[in-house]
Amino acid sequence: MSLFKARDWWSTTVGEAEEFDHGCLCVANIDNSNDELDKIIIGSYHGILRIFNPKPTKTEDGGWSGYKPEDVLLESALPNPILQIEAGKFVSGSDNLHLAVLHPRNLAVYSVSVTSGAVEHGRHFQLKKAYEHKLQRTAFNFCYGPFGGVSGRDFLCVQSMDGTVSIFEQESYSFSRFLPGALLPGPIRYIPKSDSFVTVSSSWQLECYKYQVLAVATDTKTKEESQNMKSGKRVTWDWCFNIGEQALDLEVVNYPTAPPSIIILGERNIFCLTDTGKLRYMKKCEYDPSCFLPYASLVEGSINYLVATHTTSSLMVYQDIMLKWAAKLDNVPVEVRIGKFQDLQGIVVTLSDTGRLECLYLGTDPALFIPPVPEARELNYGEMDREMAQLQKRMKQSSNKPVIMPNAKQEDDLQILVQVNPGLDDNSVATGLEYEDPDPVPSISARIQLKSRLTIENITVSMHADWPLACNCGSYEVSSVDPSNPTENFVSFFLKGKVLPPTLTASVSANYTSATGAPRIATAKVKLPLKLVVKPVLPVKNAEFKVTLDTNKPPANLNDIFPDLLGENAHGPGAALGFQFYGMGSIVTVLASKTSQRYRLQCDKFEALWLLVKDLAGRLSSHFNRTKNDNFSVYFTGQLPLQEYFDLIENHFEHRLNAERCKEMLSQRATQFRAIQRRLLTRFKDKTPAPLANLDTLMEGTYRQILHLADTIEENNQSQEMAACALASGTHLFCYIIKLWTNMSQDEFKVLTSSITPVVSNNLDQGWEERVDAAVTHLLRTTLAKASKDQTLNPQPLTMPEDTTKVKKHIALMCDKLGKGARLVEGLPQNSAVNMAPSPRKEKKTKISATSKTVMENGVIDNSDDTETLIGSQFGQHKNKHLKDQEIMSAMNGLSDLSELGLPAANIPLEDEISEKQRKKHIESMVPDLDDMEVHTGPMALED
Amino acid sequence: MDPLFLAYSYFRRRKYQQCTDLCSQLLEKNPYDQAAWTLKTRALTGQVYVDEVDVDEEGIAEMVMDDNTIAQVSRPGTSLKQPGTGKGAPSQGIRPMSQSGRPVSGFVRPGTQGGRPGTMERAIMTPRTAHTARPVTSASGRYVRLGTASMLSTPDGPFINLARLNFAKYAARPNLAKALFEYIFHHENDVRNALELAALATESVQFKDWWWKVQLAKCYYRLGMYRDAERQLKSALTQQEMIDSYLYLCKVYVRLDQPLTAVEVYKQGLEKFQGETTLLTGIARIYEGMNDMDNAVKFYKDVLNFDSMHVEAIACIATHHFYTDQPEVALKFYRRLLQMGVYNGELFNNLGLCCFYAQQYDMTLTCFERALSLAEEQTLADVWFNIGHVALGIGDMTLAYQCFRLTVANNNDHAEAYNNLGVLELRKGNVEMARAFFQAAMVTSPHMHEPHYNWAALADQLGDLQSSFNAAKRAVEAFPDHVDSKELLKQLRHHFSLL
Repeated sequence: MSLFKARDWWSTTVGEAEEFDHGCLCVANIDNSNDELDKIIIGSYHGILRIFNPKPTKTEDGGWSGYKPEDVLLESALPNPILQIEAGKFVSGSDNLHLAVLHPRNLAVYSVSVTSGAVEHGRHFQLKKAYEHKLQRTAFNFCYGPFGGVSGRDFLCVQSMDGTVSIFEQESYSFSRFLPGALLPGPIRYIPKSDSFVTVSSSWQLECYKYQVLAVATDTKTKEESQNMKSGKRVTWDWCFNIGEQALDLEVVNYPTAPPSIIILGERNIFCLTDTGKLRYMKKCEYDPSCFLPYASLVEGSINYLVATHTTSSLMVYQDIMLKWAAKLDNVPVEVRIGKFQDLQGIVVTLSDTGRLECLYLGTDPALFIPPVPEARELNYGEMDREMAQLQKRMKQSSNKPVIMPNAKQEDDLQILVQVNPGLDDNSVATGLEYEDPDPVPSISARIQLKSRLTIENITVSMHADWPLACNCGSYEVSSVDPSNPTENFVSFFLKGKVLPPTLTASVSANYTSATGAPRIATAKVKLPLKLVVKPVLPVKNAEFKVTLDTNKPPANLNDIFPDLLGENAHGPGAALGFQFYGMGSIVTVLASKTSQRYRLQCDKFEALWLLVKDLAGRLSSHFNRTKNDNFSVYFTGQLPLQEYFDLIENHFEHRLNAERCKEMLSQRATQFRAIQRRLLTRFKDKTPAPLANLDTLMEGTYRQILHLADTIEENNQSQEMAACALASGTHLFCYIIKLWTNMSQDEFKVLTSSITPVVSNNLDQGWEERVDAAVTHLLRTTLAKASKDQTLNPQPLTMPEDTTKVKKHIALMCDKLGKGARLVEGLPQNSAVNMAPSPRKEKKTKISATSKTVMENGVIDNSDDTETLIGSQFGQHKNKHLKDQEIMSAMNGLSDLSELGLPAANIPLEDEISEKQRKKHIESMVPDLDDMEVHTGPMALED
Repeated sequence: MDPLFLAYSYFRRRKYQQCTDLCSQLLEKNPYDQAAWTLKTRALTGQVYVDEVDVDEEGIAEMVMDDNTIAQVSRPGTSLKQPGTGKGAPSQGIRPMSQSGRPVSGFVRPGTQGGRPGTMERAIMTPRTAHTARPVTSASGRYVRLGTASMLSTPDGPFINLARLNFAKYAARPNLAKALFEYIFHHENDVRNALELAALATESVQFKDWWWKVQLAKCYYRLGMYRDAERQLKSALTQQEMIDSYLYLCKVYVRLDQPLTAVEVYKQGLEKFQGETTLLTGIARIYEGMNDMDNAVKFYKDVLNFDSMHVEAIACIATHHFYTDQPEVALKFYRRLLQMGVYNGELFNNLGLCCFYAQQYDMTLTCFERALSLAEEQTLADVWFNIGHVALGIGDMTLAYQCFRLTVANNNDHAEAYNNLGVLELRKGNVEMARAFFQAAMVTSPHMHEPHYNWAALADQLGDLQSSFNAAKRAVEAFPDHVDSKELLKQLRHHFSLL
């Protein structure tokens, strides 16, 4: 991040695919010319040495002319890679600057000389080798200085990769020493003032060695000093300073304006030390530095330095720790130097590792990042206005609808056609069943066809059947469909779980991406036949729950109605059929009255009746309604099975309560577990371990409890699922009965099923009970309300109720109102077609006219609005037999007792019991032919 | 050219991959080449190195299992858990809270997002949106990701098998041990082994190396043993004062929820290292976390004295000026950020808002246009929200409504947008819709007082006094100085007492 960018004065790119690193750049007046202008010397890892003398001129537009070929003074290929170059007084007897070049295995000193020509560009530069030292070890870097306090001469100190330093007194080799603890060498510099070397070692500390100490630490036995030594005396440092990180570079500065200092560029910090190893200041870098260069400051007592960074590639100018300037660079430099060119002092020279050589100065050119201009379009205001108006219109339209949903019904590109085979599969594919059945469990195949108007690719077709039904194939992929050849696939459905199926539908959906790129879904519903889940068995005489359906046609032979589900009853008189669900014991018996126009279904389970009732009604109407004029219809005139239905609700709710209780217990145990953990943790952390005081046993115990609770929750979930399915079936049946009872229109039935919804989902946040309660309450307060003053809306929050009395009360109240002719859809006249249950007391009943509906005034249901008494009486009626049932259920769950929910026995009104008996008699009289049939079927049952 | 020299050169130039490859070749030839081995550990570390001072991820487990809590109910202004009402800070009604219920900062860094819920249950139940999601424990989460990143860099198994390493042998060799430690700590993220190595190493140098003590403290910190970390750091500081030691020590104090001690330590550090920006920033961050804006801004300004390129300081000062009703000044700071090369949706969004409030309407929409084109998915919702806000300001309700809808489409947890949608619906007379929107806002961020108050006011009008009372109480809980809520509450109390 920088406000300004560094201004380019002169730049060039050197070489092709050559590598440079720290040490490869040197700025010095290497040809010792009299104008004292600096030259730039660079050497690459490929062994090419170049000397430049930048001389740009001002151009007319104010810029600089840049690189010219004549700026190159010398270019020479040396045989070995160049690791480092420095300029100094390396040749004895000469005060001129010479060039020392470090190669991996030798150190050479060159002199650069000029042969003047007749004209300016006739000048000719030459590189002459003064002397060369062979090195025994691979070199890493070197430093130079007047070691030992000599004046006017520079000695050389080469550090090798293994941390050995070799001193060369110009042309002659002096000695070599091991530095202690060396692993990877660090930067090394000479401090003239204290005549010592400083380096940063692998132990990440700055170490200072006296030259004297190094020189005298010779092994006394071997007089001969050679580079080829194998062992040496251990030298010790004079002082050291622990910087705690590896250093990138190190400089020793001695400026007149500042105290002599050692500045270290670490990987993460910049340190400034006095020349005796005391920390003067440090600065934490919030970037990755790549190289730095200190220079003298004008301010007394402070040091300036340049730092170049990686990643953000900027050049920072610091005065001590204060950031003075930041400028953006184009590359990340590996080395930075300052030089004097053409009377311009303080030009910054940078070299990047790919060979970009730049001479820069700081200027106030903003490093302005020019944001790309957003796409400039020709603005047509008229068109824009029109488009805007159009969009506004569409938005207005859609915002009128209460729910924002994409309901644009476009013609679908893809069509799914599903055809269910008329017969069951020959070889059943039903696998993974959760129950056992003596008979083979059937499966049924469906043919799925995909048809498209366009070529569509990558279609995923997925099948979904509501639990307990399942499909043998969850989804499959179709790579492409084109209009000419539709694809075809077969999948099979079967009954998998040990639960009564609430519905017999499955859905097939296809996901695809339309030609416009929008994701689309096409769906199709599949109706599965009844015979997939039931098998024919012998009818059973007695059953607990009965539903009687009235019709307006003389009864048909059941053998004609259920031709595909006769089984061993095929040769019977067709008055009674039995069906058993696969995996379940309950048998549903269908009876057709011979004399009256009634059908009766009975079973031990209320919810098991649903599929048969639905199927029977469907089959009957298709049997009788052959022509348009056959006005066959089904009625229900009995008592609404409120109590049976309420038991289902109760059972489901009990499971929910259990789940809630378990959850609470689990959270309590988990809290306990964490508390024990925490206590244990503090004990273990303690330096002086205290006894555990059986906390570990407690923890183990709690852990077991948690596991057990989790198992219990799992079990409860499963039985809740079953209860939910039962409730769903029961709700279907209940709604259907209400429909038949009140002769509802389709619209009303829709309202009813969406209020008392048959979708029972196991959801933690909202349960079925509160949803139905809210919906029914809403109905009661709006469409079913007597006067407009009752129509207040103040929805309660959807929270789990404490018990089910409220929802039961509201459902009963709704049934009562519906029974009195209230309509669920506004604007319809009062319903006068309610088929009221024939009260046993006012027996004389039901005038059924062939064409119109049954007209019957008020039966059992009390006229008063007081629902409490109504409920009470209904509870009473059925109390006896259901108490037993509930006990069985709760015993099965094993989690709780339900007995408290039953009403006290004393509450049973006597007359109700009587009426119950009377009704039984009455019903029996309605089906007089039952006895015959029983005689007939009796022996057969015995044979089994 | 010597391969080791070349590898070292690559290392200097941060070309870690090439360096690692070269070192691997060298080690294949000679498995006992210590120099190559060290260089490779350092290169591998460099690939994944993150400064430990900046890593601050507080997982739910750390927060709840924290057994260092001194007082559950702290005095105001001494704890970061309950950002105080603040000295000099604008009220909550003006400077909003972040989605996790902390004062909004001008600069997002690790730790500004998290609040400190009281219990495990609350921590888990807090709305876990994309913006407040936090790891269950910092021992998993990020560090595991870092661990897998390190595995990627060495596809053929780990470079060093830590289980078979003889730590005692390596600990005795200071030149190897330090690089090895950083490798174990940063690359392998194996704090236990790192701790073992550090403990042995500090023993072998007779407890004279401050560096090892700081590393021990780093390990202790990661392991949640803050008091031990504190002891090591204090010992290291008596040996040699270093900036990093101060920073780590303050980090420990912040984690121990002792912000005032941390500030004290920072100030001690500043006595030795005058003008160190990291120390100054640390103080400013703590004051900002405690909602003490006067001091925070003072220290951020100090930072700028020493480093005028400090993005965090500029951004935070700008935010402060914006919320203290000086949009023109804020605009200057944001413009400087733009000139410095910050170029993202957030900045243009802020510029747009400043322009709007500074009545430079011509620039407002252009800035937002830029912001929209630059914004990423997460910030897009906020940009639309602000455009909606501007639309409200100029009275274009239709545009505002559409903007808020777009906000919700981009981020369906945006409680502020839900609240505003509710208000707009109420203006249109759709009570039911308004109620639904307020409810959505209340559920997604319970710490905001606006939806609570709006709900209360609406329920009051509809005659549902009980709901109104409850909601007003929640509003006052979220923002104790909210006058309207208090008025409403008083009125309701009066009403109830009459009944």
